[in-house]
Amino acid sequence: IDRCTPKKQPTNWIQQHPVYQGMKSLEVGDSAQIHAAFLVYMDLSEARHWNEVSYMKSPELEVVLLEGREIEGGPVQTVLPLPVHQNVNHRSLRRVLDRGFPLLLCAVGSDSTLVYQRMTDGLVTPDPPVGPFQDVDRRHQRKRRQQD
Amino acid sequence: MATDDPGNRRPSPLSLSSSFRQGLMSDQISEEQEAESQSHVVAVSLVDSTPLLWRMQDLRAVRGQGLVGALVGSLARVPRQNGRMGRPLQLLQEEQRLLGEQGAIAMATRKQVSEERRSLVFESFDSYRSYEEQTVLALEDKKSSLLRAMTTPTPHTESKHVALRGHLETLDHHFTFPRSGLAVQLSTARAGLTYCPEDRVYLQADRSPRGPVSPQSEAKYQVFRDLRGRGFYLTSAGKFGGDFLVYPGDPLRFHSHFIAICLSLDESMCLLDVLTVARLGSNVKKTVLLCSATPEGGVVYTSLQWSGMV
Repeated sequence: IDRCTPKKQPTNWIQQHPVYQGMKSLEVGDSAQIHAAFLVYMDLSEARHWNEVSYMKSPELEVVLLEGREIEGGPVQTVLPLPVHQNVNHRSLRRVLDRGFPLLLCAVGSDSTLVYQRMTDGLVTPDPPVGPFQDVDRRHQRKRRQQD
Repeated sequence: MATDDPGNRRPSPLSLSSSFRQGLMSDQISEEQEAESQSHVVAVSLVDSTPLLWRMQDLRAVRGQGLVGALVGSLARVPRQNGRMGRPLQLLQEEQRLLGEQGAIAMATRKQVSEERRSLVFESFDSYRSYEEQTVLALEDKKSSLLRAMTTPTPHTESKHVALRGHLETLDHHFTFPRSGLAVQLSTARAGLTYCPEDRVYLQADRSPRGPVSPQSEAKYQVFRDLRGRGFYLTSAGKFGGDFLVYPGDPLRFHSHFIAICLSLDESMCLLDVLTVARLGSNVKKTVLLCSATPEGGVVYTSLQWSGMV
């Protein structure tokens, strides 16, 4: 009697990916953060085509950090990938900023949505609103008055 | 009774009478005035723990030092709106503390003020026009307004005119002026708020009357003092979900650039909250500033901006 061949397990390509296994070997101890880091790595290298994307362990915090250049020959940036439900404190953000590179914080949702926020030391004036600016003419002022 | 001219009924939010604005804008204050405002001691009235300033010279002095506060009083001529407010000026806790540390605040003890104020209120009540005088004036006013209504030419008002004429003729007999309509003048300038230099020394507040300082309010104060020291103007940021709004100059001239959020270095925040506040900031074109006081006494700032990566 033939034994039914056991159904082939679907391959988990993430866990077999060399980059993922490399991140795991850093032994930061937080598998959710490693998963998040891996997703950001793939987004940067494959979707946004960043150059020289690499990963390393942050010495002070128990997290995997990413580094890369947005364009070839451009400046190196640090990317901090974190699952969106995790907590952060200001001190750990300062420690990552102390590395000296521009920092991008990436929040990874449970559906793999990625949101990137720029974090900079100091007070960065926001970009001014874009023109052309039009003074509201009397007609619009009068209209608004009648509506009130 | 008396109506404002219709053109004034809808003031735009930033329009203030020019003299008021000139009095407040710090960059128009000459150097000697600036020096004077530095040494000026403001008289603060406390309602529970809320610090209020009533006198114009106090408001001017406080603005000259870069403290904005918030006007919370209604204007007698345009009462039922809050687009334009009048005195008193309410100070933030941080502003009151900063003035206190500079020795620029004088507060009367509660017992003192209430005794004085009570006697002054009764005095001014009697000195203003009495009930009888006001009744006569109210009757005259009513007659003239009825006459005006009768003489304005409008269609289909024959019957109305007749009714009004009848009303006018019997007005003298059945007109009553209610006590609640009595106008009373209170002289706030005299109501226990004038502090001449001799009183100032006696009344100087060397310690804030607040309770024990919580670590959060201490952190907020350190940030406030640091940013004020760098020349920024700060107001409260309740509308934007932050602690302070930071302006590069006087708020009458600029929009704010930053929403400052004060936290301690080790305070844990959910990443979702960081995203919330960053999103709000980018929607209103302001940078979100995470501010923390360091143990060494300084303050570190981290600017949070949209990355532009969709």
